[in-house]
Amino acid sequence: MLLFVLFSVTILGYIAYQTSILIQRQQVSAINREIGQLNRTYQRAGTPGLVQGVQRFADRPGPGIYYVADPTGQVLAGNVKEIPTFVLQNPGVHSFRYEVEENWHDEDDNERPDRGLALVKSFQLPSGFYLVVGRDIVERRGFSAIIFEAFGWGVFWIIILSVLLGTILARNIMRRLDLISAASKKIMSGDLSERLPITKRNDEYDRVSENLNEMLERIENLMAGLKEVTDNVAHDLKTPLTRLRNKVERALNRNDDPEQMRQALQATIEESDQLIRTFNALLLIARVEAGAPDGSFELVAVDEIIEDIVDLYQPVAEDSGIELSTNLTNVPKVKGSRELIGQAIVNLVENAIKYAKAAEGVPKIEIGLEQQPNQIRICVSDNGEGIPEKDRERVLERFVRLEESRSEAGSGLGLSLVSAVARLHKGKLEILDNEPGTKVLITLPKES
Amino acid sequence: MKVLLIEDDRDAANYLIQALDEVGHVAHHAADGETGYAMASSMDYDVMIIDRMLPRRDGLSIIESLRAENNSTPALILSALGAVDDRVQGLRSGGDDYLTKPYAFSELLARIEVLARRASPAEGATTYQVGDLTLDRLSRNVEREGEKISLQPREFRLLEYLMKHAGQVVTRTMLLENVWDYHFDPQTNVIDVHMSRLRTKIDKGKSKQLLQTVRGAGYMIRE
Repeated sequence: MLLFVLFSVTILGYIAYQTSILIQRQQVSAINREIGQLNRTYQRAGTPGLVQGVQRFADRPGPGIYYVADPTGQVLAGNVKEIPTFVLQNPGVHSFRYEVEENWHDEDDNERPDRGLALVKSFQLPSGFYLVVGRDIVERRGFSAIIFEAFGWGVFWIIILSVLLGTILARNIMRRLDLISAASKKIMSGDLSERLPITKRNDEYDRVSENLNEMLERIENLMAGLKEVTDNVAHDLKTPLTRLRNKVERALNRNDDPEQMRQALQATIEESDQLIRTFNALLLIARVEAGAPDGSFELVAVDEIIEDIVDLYQPVAEDSGIELSTNLTNVPKVKGSRELIGQAIVNLVENAIKYAKAAEGVPKIEIGLEQQPNQIRICVSDNGEGIPEKDRERVLERFVRLEESRSEAGSGLGLSLVSAVARLHKGKLEILDNEPGTKVLITLPKES
Repeated sequence: MKVLLIEDDRDAANYLIQALDEVGHVAHHAADGETGYAMASSMDYDVMIIDRMLPRRDGLSIIESLRAENNSTPALILSALGAVDDRVQGLRSGGDDYLTKPYAFSELLARIEVLARRASPAEGATTYQVGDLTLDRLSRNVEREGEKISLQPREFRLLEYLMKHAGQVVTRTMLLENVWDYHFDPQTNVIDVHMSRLRTKIDKGKSKQLLQTVRGAGYMIRE
C-alpha cells in the first residue's frame, strides 16, 4: 500500500512539474511572437506606429505586459507604471515585481492584485526606444499553485483512500482466512465431513476453497475406503485364520488317528495358501493403486494378451462346457503393463467362467476388442445370471462378494484389482447388462 | 547339491537348511549380506538362495557384485515384495529366478534344482529324449515308439519345457511363467487341464506313464 502511495505521488508530481514547464515555454514563445509583431510594425510605421501598436496590445484585457519608453525613459505607451531601470539597461529576459496601471485594473479583472510578478523580455530599438513585452506570471504562478494544490489534495486522498481500502480489504481477507482456519481446525480434529466455506463471490478464495474441498472429498473417500478395507480384512482374513486354528486344534485333540491328522494338515496348507493368495491380491491392489513407476510401462499388444489368455483358459472352459470365443479387431498397442493387463483379463475370464455356468442353454463367454477414436475397449461378456444393477458398483469394492458366490472359491478382490489396473492405465471399468449375463468393459486410452 | 543360503531370519533359515538336508542337499548359511557375499565369492556353490532384504548389504547388490566378478552361480531371489516391477528389477540385477514369500518348500526346491541344472552344458541340445519319447526342437517333431504325435504349438512348448527338465519336478507356476510368460496366480486349475490333455496325447494306451503328477508340488516327466 505504501508502495502504491509512493508511486501515485511520484506520477502526480511529475505531471505537475511537466505542466508548469510547458506553460512557461508557451509564455516565452508568445512573448517572442508579440515582440516580432511589434518589431515589424516599427519597421513599417516607425515610432508612432510602434507606440500605437503597443497601446493596442496594452488595452487588451489579459495577462500581457507592454511598455514602450523613449531614450530618456519617458513612458510613451503601456500598461505598467514603471519598469525597473536595470531591466531597461540590460536587454534580455527578466522577472520582477511591478505595479499595475490603474486603467486596466477593471472590474471583471478584480482578482488581479495591484502588484504583480512579471516575466518580461526587454529590447532596445535601434532608435534608442525601449520596448518591454511580458506576461504577468502571478497568473501562471496561480496556475502552478492550483496544480500543486491539486497535487497535494490528490496525495492526501490517495493516502486516505488507500488506508481505508487497505483496511477494509485486509479485514475482509482476515475474516475469510479466519473462517477457513476455523474449518480446517475442525477437520484436523477429525471431522472429515467438514468443508471450507464458499461465498457467492466466486473469487480466488472461493476457487482455492473449492479445490481444497475437492481434495477433502477425496481424502474422506480414501479414509472411508481404508476403514472399509480394515473392517473387511478383519472379517475376511480372521475368518479363515479362525477356521485354520480350529482345524489344527481338533486334529491335535484326536491324535490317535494318523490319517485324520494328515488330512487336517493338508487342509491347513490349502487354507493358508488361500490366505496367502488373498494377501498377495491385497498387496498387488495397493501397489497398483499407489501407481506404477513409469519405467515398468511398455507398449503392449492387447490382442496378443487376449489370445494368450484364451489359449490358457480354452481347455478349462471346454471342460466346463463353456464356449469361449474371441472377437478381436486390430488395435494399436497401448502403453501399459502386460502383466497387469493380463492379470485383469484373467480375473474377468475366471469370473465369467464362474457366472456362465449358471446360464440357461449353452454357456458362452466372448472376449471382444475394439477400437474407438481415442480409446480401445476390452469387453468380456458371458450369458450367465448376471449381476443385479444395484450391485454393479458394489462388486468393484474390495472383499465384496455377492451372496450367491460366497460358496465359490475366491477372495472378492478380483474386480477390485481389475478396476485398479484400469485406473492405473487412465482407463475405466464398467459393468453392463449383457441380457442375459454380465458384460464387463475395460476402456483404455489410446497412446497418442 | 551345494546350496548357499543368505537369509537373516533364523527360523526361516533353519527350516530351509533342515528341509534341504532331508532331500539330500548341503546348505551353508550366512545371516547377513557381507558374510554371504564373502562366502559366495570364496567357495563354489551349485546354487544360491538370496533374501532380498538383508542386514549390512542387500541381496541385489551381492548378485550384482558377483556377476561383475564373472561369478555365474545361479541365484534365486527370495522377496516379500512381489510386484511385477520388483521382479523385473531382481532379474535385471543378475538374479536367475525370483520367488515371493511366503512360498511352498516344494516350489523352492523345484526351482533351485532347475537352476542348478541350467548351469550344466545340456542346455543347448536340439533333441530331448525320455524313454521312447523323443522331441526334436528344430523340426518340431514329437514321436513315441516311433509314432508321430501331433501337438498344438502350446502343447509342444509345455512338453519341451518338461523334457528339458526331465527327472525334475516342475511346478504349475514355473510352467505358467516359462510357457506362457505370465507371473500371476490363477485361481482355477488351468495348468492341470493343459497337462491332462498333454498326458492323453503322449501316455494314453501306453504301458509306461511318462508324465507324472507329483503330489503337492507339480509335474515331472521321466522314464
